[in-house]
Amino acid sequence: MVEPLMDLTLAPQTTTRTLAEDDALRVERLSISFGGLRAVDDLSFAVKKKEIFGLIGPNGAGKTTVFNCITQFYRPDEGNVFFRTGKGDGVVNLVGRPVHSIIGLGLVRTFQNVEVIQELSLLENVLIGAHIDFKATIFEQAFKLPRARREERLFQKKAEEALAFLGIIDRRDLLAGGQPYGVLKKVELARTLMANPRLIILDEPAAGLNDSETHELASTIRQIRDAYDCTILLVEHDMRLVMGVCDRICAISFGKFLACDVPEGIKRNKLVQEAYLGEEEA
Amino acid sequence: MNDLSSPFTNAKPALWRNAYLRFVLFGLLIATLPLFSSLGLMKSSTLNYIGNVLVYAVAALGLNLLLGYAGLISLGTAGFMGLGSYIAAYIVKDMGMSFWAALVAAVLIPTLIGLLIGLISLRIEGIYLAIATLCVSEILLKSFEQADSITGGMQGKSVSYPVVFGHAFNRSSTYLMLVVVLTLVMMLTHSFVNGQKGRALHAMRGSEVAAQAMGVNLLQYRLIAFSLATAYSALSGVLYVFFVKFSYPSVWNMNLSLYVLAAVVIGGLRSIYGTVIGTFVVWAVPDLILKNLPVVGGINGLPYIFNGILIIVVVMFAPQGISGLWPLKKKKKRQQVPQQVPPSGKEAG
Repeated sequence: MVEPLMDLTLAPQTTTRTLAEDDALRVERLSISFGGLRAVDDLSFAVKKKEIFGLIGPNGAGKTTVFNCITQFYRPDEGNVFFRTGKGDGVVNLVGRPVHSIIGLGLVRTFQNVEVIQELSLLENVLIGAHIDFKATIFEQAFKLPRARREERLFQKKAEEALAFLGIIDRRDLLAGGQPYGVLKKVELARTLMANPRLIILDEPAAGLNDSETHELASTIRQIRDAYDCTILLVEHDMRLVMGVCDRICAISFGKFLACDVPEGIKRNKLVQEAYLGEEEA
Repeated sequence: MNDLSSPFTNAKPALWRNAYLRFVLFGLLIATLPLFSSLGLMKSSTLNYIGNVLVYAVAALGLNLLLGYAGLISLGTAGFMGLGSYIAAYIVKDMGMSFWAALVAAVLIPTLIGLLIGLISLRIEGIYLAIATLCVSEILLKSFEQADSITGGMQGKSVSYPVVFGHAFNRSSTYLMLVVVLTLVMMLTHSFVNGQKGRALHAMRGSEVAAQAMGVNLLQYRLIAFSLATAYSALSGVLYVFFVKFSYPSVWNMNLSLYVLAAVVIGGLRSIYGTVIGTFVVWAVPDLILKNLPVVGGINGLPYIFNGILIIVVVMFAPQGISGLWPLKKKKKRQQVPQQVPPSGKEAG
């Protein structure tokens, strides 16, 4: 009876080519250097299905770099990123895939500084999230043939639903340029919802939001997780949000793994406290 | 449908609500210009200028796709226009084939060449693409001068008005053909830029990282934009040769590329009507209006001075170009929704 237990506890350390049954994503021994700087150093962690998982660390800890390595904006020097795709129960290694192919696997992200298109309306911005789902050719779209019209109608409806879900449907036809920051953050969120995501990566979703907006965001994140049945991985500086919304948290410092635990455990963790507040003088 | 945003749209007269109907009306409007000419209300030569504007507007729309939507710049418009015109002339005159064969080949061949050049040069961005396309255009220009047997060299090449379905066109019917083609191009461009592919171009220009994260293959969409711009240029060249009935190398120089660029910037990036108006301002205003002014009209190189000053003014004071001065469109979209405090009652979690 002892043996299987041993196996289970050892499982995360061994380099299996697949994911554990209830994992949505596993980052395995990830490393990347920029010149002489080792931004991410042998980092491993796993995110469970339907979990809201936080990645925290002091400024410059390499959190966004980790995100960029997962979404293939950066090619990690070493390591693997295993991901359970939207199609069936397939597991793929994301490393080395073209960055524009990632969303098709069911992984979609937002950005630290909102990346929306100023010259498009909110609805059009959200529609960009469905880009890969359009099948009509360039000619069908230019001549507005039936399939192109059907697709446009279908995804427009879906985009309206996403906007309504986030409470900004009344602004659907307004240009993104000139909208308040909080609205643009929601547009980015709505855009991710268009892609039938299995995993949404949020890069500092609360940055630039005021207290009440941050509070609203926490419940929005939970609602998204429940309504769209997906996993959420977020980087955040706002500790109240992280501690309030996350099921588990991974703390890193200078690209290295510190701890991975439930919020209470992270709060009490000596290593994490030292990283944030500095070491105690000997 | 959502009703909150629609009252403003509903306030417009029904006819104006359909964008395609507006294009048709616009087309009908320019199609009536020959009437004024035949009634003696307009000089016959004016029609030539307007026809040229329609021709160049097609190329300008293509450049607007590239510059305005995709955010890429090309200085090779003239080269591809020339290529289109010579191919069309060669097919109709030397090979004796039909207008349609000429049209298809003269658009397809330059587009394929553009695609190849794009494959090589679109991995780089910004100014390098401008340099690469400028070089290609100059190479094409030299080829036009040298390839006597096909292009007629410095003497140029002449054709007659097109023969369509056994029907020999005259100046008026060719003019009408220009109107029809431009209107169609405007409509197709409108559908294209408001569809998924057009949004992808928007995304690429607005934020490359967001575009990639949303699954837009940057190289693929740069190629699409560049090939379309090339196809539009070639089509414009075909129209030119059938309307002007002549193609010679000195037309297809860098000045022309810069004029097309000026038309796009002055008319307004990402505006279809703006592009046509910009083309009119750049080509027709100096010749039709300024030349008749006292004192100023006598200055040598007046069009250059006029367009140069206009570009500076537009860039400094009206970055949206002439289309940005159109009040209705902006108001509709910029209109702020009255700030209703977001419902905090939906704190479910």
